[in-house]
Amino acid sequence: MKATDLFRETGSALDSNRGRSLLTVLGIVIGIAAVIAMTALIDGIKYALVGQLGLNRARLVYIQCWTPYGSVSTADLDRWQQALPDYEYLTGASYGWGDMTAGTRSSSGQIMGTYPEFFDAMGIKLVEGRIYTDREVDRGSLVIVIDETIAKTLFGEGGAYVGRTVKIGSNEYSVIGVTEASGMTSNSSYMPFTTLNTRVNGYESMDQILGYARDGVDADALAEQTTAYLTSTYDIDEEQGNGYVYVYTMASITRQLDSTMMSFQLLMTSVASISLVVGGIGIMNMMLTNVTERIREIGLRKALGARSSDITKQFLLESVTLCIAGGIIGILAGYGGAWALAGAASNFAGIEGVAPIITANSVMLATGICVGIGIIFGYYPARRAAKLDPVESLRYQ
Amino acid sequence: MRPVIEVQGVHRIYETEAGYTHALRSVSLTVRRGEFLAIMGPSGSGKSTLMNILGCLDTPTAGTYRLEGLEVSSLDDDDLAEIRATRLGFVFQSFNLLPRATVLRNVMLPLVYSDVPAAEREMRAWKALTSVDLPEEYYEHKSNELSGGQMQRVAIARALVNDPALILADEPTGNLDTATGEMVLQTFARMKRRGKTIVLITHDADVASWADRVVHIRDGRLLTDEQERAYIARAERKGADA
Ligand SMILES: Nc1ncnc2c1ncn2[C@@H]1O[C@H](COP(=O)(O)OP(=O)(O)O)[C@@H](O)[C@H]1O
Ligand SMILES: [Mg+2]
Repeated sequence: MKATDLFRETGSALDSNRGRSLLTVLGIVIGIAAVIAMTALIDGIKYALVGQLGLNRARLVYIQCWTPYGSVSTADLDRWQQALPDYEYLTGASYGWGDMTAGTRSSSGQIMGTYPEFFDAMGIKLVEGRIYTDREVDRGSLVIVIDETIAKTLFGEGGAYVGRTVKIGSNEYSVIGVTEASGMTSNSSYMPFTTLNTRVNGYESMDQILGYARDGVDADALAEQTTAYLTSTYDIDEEQGNGYVYVYTMASITRQLDSTMMSFQLLMTSVASISLVVGGIGIMNMMLTNVTERIREIGLRKALGARSSDITKQFLLESVTLCIAGGIIGILAGYGGAWALAGAASNFAGIEGVAPIITANSVMLATGICVGIGIIFGYYPARRAAKLDPVESLRYQ
Repeated sequence: MRPVIEVQGVHRIYETEAGYTHALRSVSLTVRRGEFLAIMGPSGSGKSTLMNILGCLDTPTAGTYRLEGLEVSSLDDDDLAEIRATRLGFVFQSFNLLPRATVLRNVMLPLVYSDVPAAEREMRAWKALTSVDLPEEYYEHKSNELSGGQMQRVAIARALVNDPALILADEPTGNLDTATGEMVLQTFARMKRRGKTIVLITHDADVASWADRVVHIRDGRLLTDEQERAYIARAERKGADA
């Protein structure tokens, strides 16, 4: 018996039982929906965290360090860089806060003082203009990079924001670039590190240090190395109140999140497994009814030359097809469900803009589960059909 | 030329909870190519049992059965299935068509199991349906929309579609009225004239009279015409004595 024949026979058999088939696969639909909703949300959360430049982010090392001698300076970073050659670069940033005005409009929010590398390290993308140069940082130039959200608030829709001026305090800054506003980096503006410290904050500080590991370097190992180096260099002893050092990577954040997501995953996995087992038993039950109702047909097929294996295959394919049909509905329902849960997931993970993601992997996983259930729960009915004696089956009323 | 059927000393014993039923006792039978044979006997005489063995749906408890020279009583299930797919055509009393499938699909069903290329199937089904005189307008009808006589002709077309060595028909007119049954029998007669080998099972002497040759079966034993006449004469004598 050829595969195409097998599919044709299956198609017409299922077609004649459509109503009952749909009801039967409900358990599979719920189970697969749970699997898909779960993986789509988890993938969505990870994506929102790691961003489109996931590779870059994986190379990032976040360093928080307060030495017994005070804040870290840019000169310190140069020394670290020499001691820890596995960093491609280390770059500092400081936070400020201010009201920006342009004519009658204003916007207030966080302003970051950074070096040019910061944009690359964080994967921040420009939609217009450019970022500041090292020279502009050295000079403390009055330039600013704002994101689209702020640009629209200050200057309205329409683009062409570069060259405009915003006022913060008594100083006027010229807009040299506009960045994409997305998720975590919405409502942000950036200016040279020195400019922020001298003009906006009025004091020198370095609130965040980012290290960018060289390609191929294990970021987690580098983070440990950094902790050890900083602890010994500055005699840091947190328990004695002698400064602190805290170094972490995106990978370690993701791992932390993974463990908090475990409970969610556990819940969804148990919902999924229970529905899938219930669904599988439903499929088995329906297939057994199917076999009983079609005993004469089975006898006839055998009389016409069907081998036992042909009958097994036909009934197995029927149950697998049923499960896959349920799986397809489940994937769609799960994706919809994931969107409904996306808001809650954002709160849960503490980040904005979680969008569920369906990957080829999760679809393959779902399909694999469906095929597996179809085979496991369809096997017994199929074997029962195949073992029927043709003479008895043909006499069956 | 080799006979299509050579049955030698076949026994078929059923084991049931009530004990053993000896359904066939030392049956020997030869059917030549192109012959139209009727096997006639009352209900319970072993007709269907013999038919199932001839159709390779069942194997004898003892004895040998050669189909076109091939000894089939020792073959395994898959080999028997292949023989059914390629060398045998069945016609049943209750038609056994797939009710929701079209006439054409019903006739093409055996070709699925004999690995005939899909492109060739419809043409073969058409040929078979033409030879049983079913009007073309019915080919796309669902089989359960047909009359009994039409259904049985579709079933005969299905039996013919693989061009089998042997067509087996178990009470093919049993569910039909006399006139329709006659039409079906004419179809068999036409098949015979085209050189088909046919074994037809019936309990009805009128139906058996369409065949070239009739063998009788009583209590699992085959009787020739003379033996059958002697048997009936004996039975009548006993009836008169009583
Ligand atoms: N599967 C079976 N199990 C037990 N006994 C059977 C079976 N099939 C037939 N028989 C018995 O064998 C005998 C012949 O049956 P069968 O071949 O069906 O006769 P017919 O077709 O001539 O009416 C009967 O006595 C019947 O009860
Ligand atoms: Mg019978």
